[in-house]
Amino acid sequence: MTDRTDSVEAAIDVRALTRVFRNVKAVDDVTMTIPRGEVFGLVGPDGAGKSTLIRMLATVLAPTSGDALVFGHSVLTDPHKVKPRVGYMSQAFSLYGDLTVQENLDFFAELRGVPHRDMASRSKRLLEFSGLTEFSKRQAQFLSGGMKQKLALAATLISEPDLLFLDEPTTGVDPVSRREFWRIISGLHRDGITVFVATPYMDEADRCDEIAFMTQGRIILRDTPSGMKGRVPGRVIEVAVDDYRRAMRVLRALPCVHSLEVSGDMLRVLVAKDAGECEGTLRDALAGAGFTVHHVTPSQTDLEMAFATLIPTAAKSTDASDGDILAVAE
Amino acid sequence: MRRILAIARKEFLHIIRDKRLLGVILVMPLIQLFLYAYALSFDVKQLPTATLDLDRTTASRQYIDALQQSNYFLVDGVLTSYAQVDKRFESGADKVVVVVGAGFGNDIAAGRAGNVQILVDGSDANAAQLGSSYAGALSRVYGAKVVISQIEQKGLNISGAGGLTSSMRTWYNPEGISAAYFVPGLIVVLVTMITVLQTANTLVKEKEQGTYEQLIVSPISRIELMVGKIAPWALIGALDIIIIAVVGILAFGIPFRGSVGLFALSSLLYVICTLGLGLIVSARATSVDSANQLGSLIAFLPTFMLSGFVFPISSMPPVLQWLSYLFPARYFMVICRTVFLKGGSAAVLFPQIAALVVFAVVIVVLAASLYRERA
Repeated sequence: MTDRTDSVEAAIDVRALTRVFRNVKAVDDVTMTIPRGEVFGLVGPDGAGKSTLIRMLATVLAPTSGDALVFGHSVLTDPHKVKPRVGYMSQAFSLYGDLTVQENLDFFAELRGVPHRDMASRSKRLLEFSGLTEFSKRQAQFLSGGMKQKLALAATLISEPDLLFLDEPTTGVDPVSRREFWRIISGLHRDGITVFVATPYMDEADRCDEIAFMTQGRIILRDTPSGMKGRVPGRVIEVAVDDYRRAMRVLRALPCVHSLEVSGDMLRVLVAKDAGECEGTLRDALAGAGFTVHHVTPSQTDLEMAFATLIPTAAKSTDASDGDILAVAE
Repeated sequence: MRRILAIARKEFLHIIRDKRLLGVILVMPLIQLFLYAYALSFDVKQLPTATLDLDRTTASRQYIDALQQSNYFLVDGVLTSYAQVDKRFESGADKVVVVVGAGFGNDIAAGRAGNVQILVDGSDANAAQLGSSYAGALSRVYGAKVVISQIEQKGLNISGAGGLTSSMRTWYNPEGISAAYFVPGLIVVLVTMITVLQTANTLVKEKEQGTYEQLIVSPISRIELMVGKIAPWALIGALDIIIIAVVGILAFGIPFRGSVGLFALSSLLYVICTLGLGLIVSARATSVDSANQLGSLIAFLPTFMLSGFVFPISSMPPVLQWLSYLFPARYFMVICRTVFLKGGSAAVLFPQIAALVVFAVVIVVLAASLYRERA
């Protein structure tokens, strides 16, 4: 089933893929290739078309036009050659609640033709690494949200796919489970599995080899996380100040401040690269306006900041309206 | 094959885990069997009857005795005036009142026709119709007896006289037990309802649960999915047929005169038809609720109204008669009744069985193509 010898071709080769739902282009002429072995992150607001794109690549939904090759096989004409090699975890819980953990795993193993001699050892291993061994006899509907998602992942992995599609796998999952989930994904990555993951979380996007930003059906940015951050024209200064909402007004008025965002109860201020030492200017301006400043320290650019600054330019160049995108980046 | 088994086993697990569903499958048919068999009973015996004897002669008393001995009438009231008749009907105490006119005895003795009036409560149409025809028949028989005895009294020998004797006999169900008529029909109705409704649910449920996408992304063909989904319900349909048949035979004394093999074959064909219908509904419906409604519409109305279960097809308006050919229920209804009550060979039932084969093929092909289209 797995022929990893033909490693020259990309894992996914998307060609002008488009899907229209009642005159709305959910996915609009997307073209890109994703190399093998990558963890590829797809970020973007709700309704950007992420799920639609994934569902077409996973052969669940037929494209309106265009095509995509998965390991060289068209999702349009050869979906039966694509299916055995991919795993797909949809956004909603997609297992049988009245079946136990073990029964769900066995069902998907049978369905996807896992050899009988491998079934027991694989499900044992998957249960162990998802931490579900002690719950194997519990009905899936009585698992916690995080455990459900891990079970769904285990069920997807039982056929040992070469390519994994994950559609917002950690939405509604507690932070501890999320971290564990990504530990599993890193493990898969080490085994050479290509992972295509849609996520609304920037910290998750940060863990990917490459990320693409999707909005209104189009991919408008694509780079590595560090590449994205490196493109930001400036550096970030973290400001801790009382009454930060009013302080924002003061900072915005400064010529060296490019933009700013709220992170918790702190402000992250983007200043132009050539603005030189800015910390003093910020501190003086705030103190002069009567604010109590706790600290002003240089910080790292993060993805959120990167998207906030890069998307408006990128969106303009792809003719997308930028109002929505800015709202998203917050 | 392996994938079909995987789906079938999963469906069985769903059924076993769902207590309510188990009840619907195993207990409901029995409850309905007893309900229908008793409630839909058209047997009229012991009709509550009152008599108003305005004659009060030996002849009138003999007539009323004959009425009482027939077992069709339960004489529970003796009235003394017409005014009381209304009250008996109004209170529902009696369905029939037999009035023997004054001078009945004298008329008969004088060789004239004696007058008897039979009043029935028309608000209970069935009882009224049967009551009036029974009472009419009894009166004619009684009248004939009177005539014969009078002729004999006059010294004539009637053995030499010609005449017409009609003797009526009901075949296959000699005692006219309606259970014998209903139980085989109930098999059709109950099996249709269970199989159509449950399969109508099955696919929509997967869609609502989000598990349908997981099935699509796996290398299972539509036909495999369909067969895997149908198989458990085919078995359950068969189980229900057996339960109803056995209980019908044991509890209601229904005969089984035909071939078990023939019955099994046609049951299988019919269940394939109904399961296919359910799948068609399931492929089209947008939610579990709409599947249930559409399913019961398809399952219930035609099977109940257009199969000959309650109303004989031959007495329906032509349009409905044509319509009834479009539903497999009418054919299986004929097969069931024939196999239970008459016997009937494969040759006799050939048209019905052939029709079921055609329906099964058409429905399954249609269901399969709808499945494919939806992917």
